[in-house]
Amino acid sequence: MTYLLTSLVNGLVFGLLLFMVSAGLTLIFGMMGVLNFAHSSLYMLGAYLGYSIGRWTGFWPALLLAPLAVALLGAFIERYMLRRVHRHGHAQELLLTFGLALIIHEAIKLMYGPYPVEYAIPAELARTAFSVNGFNVPLYRLFIGAVAISMFVSLFLLMRYTRLGLIVRAALSQPLMVESLGHNVGFVFLLVFAIGAALAGLAGAVAGAFYPTGPNMAEDLGSIVFVVVVVGGLGSLEGALVASLAIGLLTTLTVGLDWTLAGALAPFGLSGWAASIGGLFSITLSSLTGSLPFIIMLFVLLFRPAGLMGERS
Amino acid sequence: MNRYHRIAVCLAAAIVLLAPLTFSDRYANLAIRILVAALFATAFNLLWRQARLLSFGHGVYFGAGMFAAVHLMRANEAGLNVPLILVPLAGVLSGLIIGLLCGFIATLRSGAYFSMITLAIAELIYSLGPRWQALFGGEAGISSMRIPSMGLSFAALNEVYLIVLGWSALGFVAIRFFAKTPLGQIAYALGDNERRLQFLGYRTHAVKVCLFALSAAISGLAGGLLGIAAENVDYTVFGPASSAAPVIQTFIGGADVLFGPAFGAAILTGFGNVFSDVTRLWLLYQGLAFVVVVMFLPAGIVGSLLSSKKRPLREAIANTLAVLLCSASLIFLCESASILLSDSYASLRANQGGSWVSYRLFNIELLPSSPIVWALPLIVALAGVLVSCKLKRQEEAA
Repeated sequence: MTYLLTSLVNGLVFGLLLFMVSAGLTLIFGMMGVLNFAHSSLYMLGAYLGYSIGRWTGFWPALLLAPLAVALLGAFIERYMLRRVHRHGHAQELLLTFGLALIIHEAIKLMYGPYPVEYAIPAELARTAFSVNGFNVPLYRLFIGAVAISMFVSLFLLMRYTRLGLIVRAALSQPLMVESLGHNVGFVFLLVFAIGAALAGLAGAVAGAFYPTGPNMAEDLGSIVFVVVVVGGLGSLEGALVASLAIGLLTTLTVGLDWTLAGALAPFGLSGWAASIGGLFSITLSSLTGSLPFIIMLFVLLFRPAGLMGERS
Repeated sequence: MNRYHRIAVCLAAAIVLLAPLTFSDRYANLAIRILVAALFATAFNLLWRQARLLSFGHGVYFGAGMFAAVHLMRANEAGLNVPLILVPLAGVLSGLIIGLLCGFIATLRSGAYFSMITLAIAELIYSLGPRWQALFGGEAGISSMRIPSMGLSFAALNEVYLIVLGWSALGFVAIRFFAKTPLGQIAYALGDNERRLQFLGYRTHAVKVCLFALSAAISGLAGGLLGIAAENVDYTVFGPASSAAPVIQTFIGGADVLFGPAFGAAILTGFGNVFSDVTRLWLLYQGLAFVVVVMFLPAGIVGSLLSSKKRPLREAIANTLAVLLCSASLIFLCESASILLSDSYASLRANQGGSWVSYRLFNIELLPSSPIVWALPLIVALAGVLVSCKLKRQEEAA
């Protein structure tokens, strides 16, 4: 019971964190068709900037300044780099972001060294929120969740009820038509890219204090975030939310389960035979936790290519 | 004249390719790695150049070939007598089989989705690697020894180089002639307009699977060749770094020219070998070079060299000068930062009571607090930018 509760809380918070990073990615992908390989690097940059700025200003101002700095960098990348290679096609844009991810990774290692930095939780949040059955829920986990949820709500309201959101949604599906109607689609692209970068930066600044802030955090999260975008469906915020929560819960719930394929064959009386073969049959589910998102993604791509909530494939 | 020209080029190529036979192990090893990287990048580019499919997970097929070769060598040690020259075939076979399987799934979609699926497959194998003890040898990997065969001991790497050279040549020839076959031609059409090809009645998915399998098989060959040279392999070969390498090398070299990827692979592997001893920032420079090429030379180095209309010599020199000046200044700044931000420098400073201590770079004693140290690279970079601006203005005026 305690195990279930722990996993549920951890999984929900991890899922919400995944959503914070993938929200920007799915918007950028849906709108500009650019698969931004550097998106999780922006998340990492947010964490490191939060740490560096936080040493001068304290935690709370850094939480505002770090995403802002990342947004500026995102705007720069869109305006002066992506737009330049745009006429050579999407593949060239993808390659550019891929190269940027390499550079950011190496630059972080140059600036901060190869080991994680000590990005600490502020004292006022380093408490236990409540405890059940001797299991303590840290207040900071709830804080991460609250930031993510408020972000989702404000993004959702922005997209659904404002004029800007209307234009963005229109530009998502018909950029040429929106341009013909006299809207500055280039500027909308810039804005979406900057906002997406800011969201990733905010996620990094918030999560970096809780999870380790090291040069591998972009790589660790990067491919899972792609999985979320594909599973949720291209350009769909709601899909990204559902997919992030599902993957977050699934990966934390399976960590403690030592089911094997051999065990699953027990009802047929084959478990002894399967266990003797070893290999795939004796791998426990818990050791597959890292692989699970990719297996899910392959299944989604095979059976529902548009994703859970995507409209077009 | 033309005939003598051709003979001279062939002779030079033969000398360059056969020279490693006389090298010591260290340089023979480098030559093998260059050939393997060139073959791998060319195999990767088979997908992009013809069908416009950008794979971010080719490390899987390379690694499969490497594991297959080392497993076969272990079987050889246990008594199976396959001559070493045939061992790379195990790589081809495993690359082909896994390529057929993964290619079938990955090529269901194209564009960015294709890239993401190949990436996901690579991540999947990479995360499974350390768990599957029997096949991948866990964290430690598996290793083996070369067994003498066909009258050669294969103790020194330059004997292995002969095998690598022969198989790579075969691989290159296969890729070159595949483009001329009807299937290769259809693959080109696929890259241009898939929808149209479908309307013409071609089964495009089958074509893509074939192309993918061929590319994976030759990647497996490259892996098998590295397997017999390195004699050991662990699961990190499936990691992001080995999938990223052919992408970087291909696009720096020039993706639309047959020998572009091989050129990129050769210079990056060669420079990487030299510079990773000198600087720990080699990967940063490689990333910067990649981004600069993607932004300013979309056709890659070889591609733009071949396609550029007869530019005046003065212009070419000015361009090279600008690039050299800017990169020299950048390298100086990065190397300085790398020293000044290191822990050892911080403790050195703490010992001196917090004052700036001089550091050594390129055998020159430098003091961080002196303005010349910072002004000089800025002036050099500015000079580079000025040269490039002047060139641009002249071009516009002309």
